[in-house]
Amino acid sequence: MAGRRALKAVLIDLSGTLHIEDTAVPGAQDALNRLRQASVAVKFVTNTTKESKRILLERLQQLNFDIQEKEIFTSLSAARSLLEQKQHRPLLLVEDSTLEDFTGIDTSEPNAVVIGLAPDHFNYQTLNRAFRMILDGAPLIAIHKARYYKRKDGLALGPGPFVTGLEYAADCKATVVGKPEKAFFTQALSDVGCSPSEAVMIGDDARDDVGGAQNAGMLGILVRTGKYRDGDEKKTDPPPYLTCNSFPDAVEHILQNLL
Amino acid sequence: MADTGWPGCAKSLKGVILDLCGVLYDSGDGDGVAIPGSIEAVKRLKESDLQLRFCTNETQATREKFVAKLQRLGFDISVAEVFPPAPAAIAVLKERGLRPHLLVHEGLLPEFDAVDKTNPNCVIIGDAAENFSYQNLNEAFRVLIGLERPVLFSLGQGRYYKETDGLKLDVGVYMKALEYACDLKAEVIGKPSPTFFQSVLGDMGLKPNEVWKTSGIFMHNDLSGLQEMPSDERHPTVTADATVDNLAQAVDVILGQRGRGA
Repeated sequence: MAGRRALKAVLIDLSGTLHIEDTAVPGAQDALNRLRQASVAVKFVTNTTKESKRILLERLQQLNFDIQEKEIFTSLSAARSLLEQKQHRPLLLVEDSTLEDFTGIDTSEPNAVVIGLAPDHFNYQTLNRAFRMILDGAPLIAIHKARYYKRKDGLALGPGPFVTGLEYAADCKATVVGKPEKAFFTQALSDVGCSPSEAVMIGDDARDDVGGAQNAGMLGILVRTGKYRDGDEKKTDPPPYLTCNSFPDAVEHILQNLL
Repeated sequence: MADTGWPGCAKSLKGVILDLCGVLYDSGDGDGVAIPGSIEAVKRLKESDLQLRFCTNETQATREKFVAKLQRLGFDISVAEVFPPAPAAIAVLKERGLRPHLLVHEGLLPEFDAVDKTNPNCVIIGDAAENFSYQNLNEAFRVLIGLERPVLFSLGQGRYYKETDGLKLDVGVYMKALEYACDLKAEVIGKPSPTFFQSVLGDMGLKPNEVWKTSGIFMHNDLSGLQEMPSDERHPTVTADATVDNLAQAVDVILGQRGRGA
């Protein structure tokens, strides 16, 4: 493509793009295999607050996707690398099922607050404690700022409202590490060793996947699966580089036009 | 003492509105503790020719219980002189025909005994303290998100306050959380809402420029309400509050100036 360097990496969203709950998007496994035969790095990027990399990987392998754990980069991975980089000792307000992604991180005498989705931990005492730490100078790190999510028993509050409340209390701004933050995409690319202008992102979320990636300097491809609703491609400015029916179509386009 | 920072018009004051928590007492276990000098300061104001009212965002107890606590701490205060948000909220419900889902402190519930709460069409949050659990916030959220035109009332919008065992998150934090979750703007009942101050002024029969108001550690919260009033009614002393260390000192200055001018 004119004005762009050769493509070196493809970032792929998981839920809604490769699979919907326990069902793979038709043809997605084969499409992934075709992509792997090209000389391009592949990484899987997702905003997760509930699932560790291992849980994500197990589900994908059960659906016969050829994926390795080290290829997965989640909002929890992004939080972890930020903690390591800044040498913070976090108070982790995350689901217990994700704690394994923070193995080895020193959490004694915490000096940073990390907020994921933690219904069991969001209570008056813990939030007061987090607040006092922030007031004493601890940075507030948010896995992401989703307003709510869908549970079997109905809608439920996401981490966003609690992050927003603490921001108001302490008059501070959280560092958000998940999609659509620019840093999330650049971090995901860092071990591939390529710049955003050499990468493309495929996802079903116009704002978080496509908008975020394009804002970071990548190309964004929106797929009409998962959470896609008619007209979503108009939700980002500039619009998606490409909107196509599903992941296999996106791969086909890349193989034909971007390599 | 120099008059700078104080209205040259302490002499023309006709009334005083005092905040309670942080000015008269510090809250904490049990009744909390009276701030040194404040019991005497209230007494001196009452003995003066100034009208006196107490304005509070206290929402953890009914007005009667709350005033009884102040009396136990040694303050000469009666129920009719104290203005908390809950009675004001009940007036708004009545006026607009709304039935609330309540996320408030258990101590405040009796205030709403006579209020119709069936099939709620709005949410009221107060400083619910321990009741601010994920579960309870989620219930309030679901009521709001299920309404065609969601209405959220917040009894105050404070960020935090001090108790004897440390700082505690106030109702404003949970108001912001629900605002963000539902993409709406809450209606604040209590300080610093201008209509709330207006109702206290109305009870005194005074204009804003005839009243001095103190507010303690959350001064900016309290002052913004007065500053939102029409500019010709803006209180002349709003910039002076910061020079006051405590109520006793403020009362010294006010009564001193009035005494000198008499």
